[in-house]
Amino acid sequence: MRIARKASGVVAGAAAAALALTACSGGSGEAGAGDALDTEEEITLNLAWWGDDTRAALYEEAVELFEEEYPNIDVTTTFVAWDDYWTARNTEAASGTLPDVMQMDLSYLRQYGNNGQLLDLSEAFDVNLDVSGLEEELLAAGTVEGAQLGIPTSTNTLALFYNADVLERIGMEPPAEGYTWDDLNDWIVEATEKGAGEDPVVFGGFDYVGTLWFFMQRLIQQGIEPFTEDGQLNFSEEDAAAFLESTAELRDSDAVYPIERTKQIEPLTGFMVSEQAAEMTWDNFMAGYVAETGENIEILPMPSGDNGPQQFWKPSMLLSASANTDQPAAAATLIDFLINEPAVGEIFGTSKGVPATAAQRDAMALEPGSVDEEVTQYEEDVADLVTESAPLPVEGFGAIEAEWKRLHEELLYENVTVDEFVEQWFAFAADTMPAAE
Amino acid sequence: MKATRRLRSLVFHAAAVAASIVVLYPAVWMVMSSFKPGNQIIGNTSILPETWTLENYVTAFGGIGGVPFTSFVWNSVVLAVLSVVGTVASSAVAAYAFARVSFPGRNVMFAVMIGTLLLPFHVVIIPQYIMFNSAGLVNTYVPLLAGKFLASEAFFVFLMVQFIRGIPRELDEAARIDGCGHGRTFGLVILPLMRPAIITTSIFMFIWSWNDFLGPLLYLKDPDLFPLPIALRQYVDQTSVSDYGAQMAMAVLALVPVALFFIIFQRYLIQGVATQGLKG
Repeated sequence: MRIARKASGVVAGAAAAALALTACSGGSGEAGAGDALDTEEEITLNLAWWGDDTRAALYEEAVELFEEEYPNIDVTTTFVAWDDYWTARNTEAASGTLPDVMQMDLSYLRQYGNNGQLLDLSEAFDVNLDVSGLEEELLAAGTVEGAQLGIPTSTNTLALFYNADVLERIGMEPPAEGYTWDDLNDWIVEATEKGAGEDPVVFGGFDYVGTLWFFMQRLIQQGIEPFTEDGQLNFSEEDAAAFLESTAELRDSDAVYPIERTKQIEPLTGFMVSEQAAEMTWDNFMAGYVAETGENIEILPMPSGDNGPQQFWKPSMLLSASANTDQPAAAATLIDFLINEPAVGEIFGTSKGVPATAAQRDAMALEPGSVDEEVTQYEEDVADLVTESAPLPVEGFGAIEAEWKRLHEELLYENVTVDEFVEQWFAFAADTMPAAE
Repeated sequence: MKATRRLRSLVFHAAAVAASIVVLYPAVWMVMSSFKPGNQIIGNTSILPETWTLENYVTAFGGIGGVPFTSFVWNSVVLAVLSVVGTVASSAVAAYAFARVSFPGRNVMFAVMIGTLLLPFHVVIIPQYIMFNSAGLVNTYVPLLAGKFLASEAFFVFLMVQFIRGIPRELDEAARIDGCGHGRTFGLVILPLMRPAIITTSIFMFIWSWNDFLGPLLYLKDPDLFPLPIALRQYVDQTSVSDYGAQMAMAVLALVPVALFFIIFQRYLIQGVATQGLKG
């Protein structure tokens, strides 16, 4: 009896403490992102990003410029590599202490947004945050159910890369303009045949159906929006099976880069070791490809689908502010500075993707023939093809994307059939994604 | 008879050498890769670099994002040394209390302490983080060290308790007769006899702290405070260009102190484990 009474006392105490804590954090939310920025008050902001040491140096440079312009704001920075970044952010999110401003990825936007961790930045529009330089489709990619939770800093879009030096060695022409997915498959078969005599053997391409984004690209070209507005799958098992079957012949005739070798050279790809003639991926991989292969890499738009060659912009990176920040106005100001300031565009170049605003794109000092110049040129060329905003990935996208990739590896090892793949993936997706409301 | 024995010995040694080559290959590969140019590392299993370069070490010594390499080393050393000091001091006192002082609730508390061994670190991360955060101690070394000074490393407390239990009580009683209280019995009799256990604890704690990644990742925000393991991961970011050469170089540099520490103390480590059974 005595023990029970004591225990209830402890519980009551804990509850009171919890109430006091929530009261504290509630009190700080008075200032809004739409209030004018106080230029007198000493403000400290935290800024977090993922990336390597090169990016760290660039950010430090940009932050210095910001602090010069806003002397009353002190920005403390933190950075780690991609995987560790999310481990750290998840822990902070659990305690409601996310950094004031942080780099955000499209695949995590909905998850953090649904948990109420991110600030709706639309309050700050036209006050502390100018988004007039962003294209509408792009800005829309940072909204979840009407709330502007992320501001795209830069864009990328899918592209087909080919290694011109390898093509010359095996005597192949690149795919012709306006090529379709079927043309691409034929091209891969032919390139693999011609590359068989090389040492090491050159393959035409890889079995691209293992990447969920390519499936989404193809759906969009068929006029199907991959996900519904409330974050559910919007395609059928038949659609998925048809996509997977589309390269069945390539798999059966060993025309694609073998999975055994892929596993050996991970995290590189066949294309990066010049054993593969072409590869599709995001256009900002260009710099990495050129650095890895040291060869002449060229870039083409994605193949056309049933309804034509539509593509979409994906914000390669967004900036978000924490819902619990004490300084929403200053946080919005920092985001504004990072996306609009021409000098910041000059500092980063295309290292985060092509800058989202024209002011920053124009400020980049592009050397003719450089990788930056080619990628920027590519995005200008395909701008007309971009008619869709990026499909907003659903909550749990990271997991279903990884499962798609894993099942595809099983498919290549012939451990599952296409039908089993589709069945297992849809079951996994149903378990992983939050049910429709 | 003699010939068979020699043959057996030969086979045994051949097998041992073969096994150690397999085991050591990754380590040797790492050291040699740190001398290869960045693009010749992944997908290349050969040991000898085609071209030798010191470029990777230059990059590694150049630091990350304006933080010099020496800063990472210094932070790692500070954390490791304080962890060792804190763990040894607090665990020894706690172990003496559990082993020699009879106080109410001793058995229950001992059981609770052992119980914490069963609690995976990942279960307590978030509550701990919230606690340290509301105390305003995030982004300092306090969350990483506080527990070490409070004997929260139950494994070492347990190790020392078992060790002290093996020391004959007659020694305590003799000290008692000479007029020692608990303080002096511990300081003058038990502590000197605990040397093997203390050395074992120090070595393990040093290595654990040196290699700890998750704790610093969560609690430290300011790159100036980062220890080596976090800096190490910085070179390989899958979303930007990865510099495997610099990572290998940094890994080699990070391993040097642990390797040295191990070489110097391995005598004691093996001795320590061996004398665990001898009971002082």
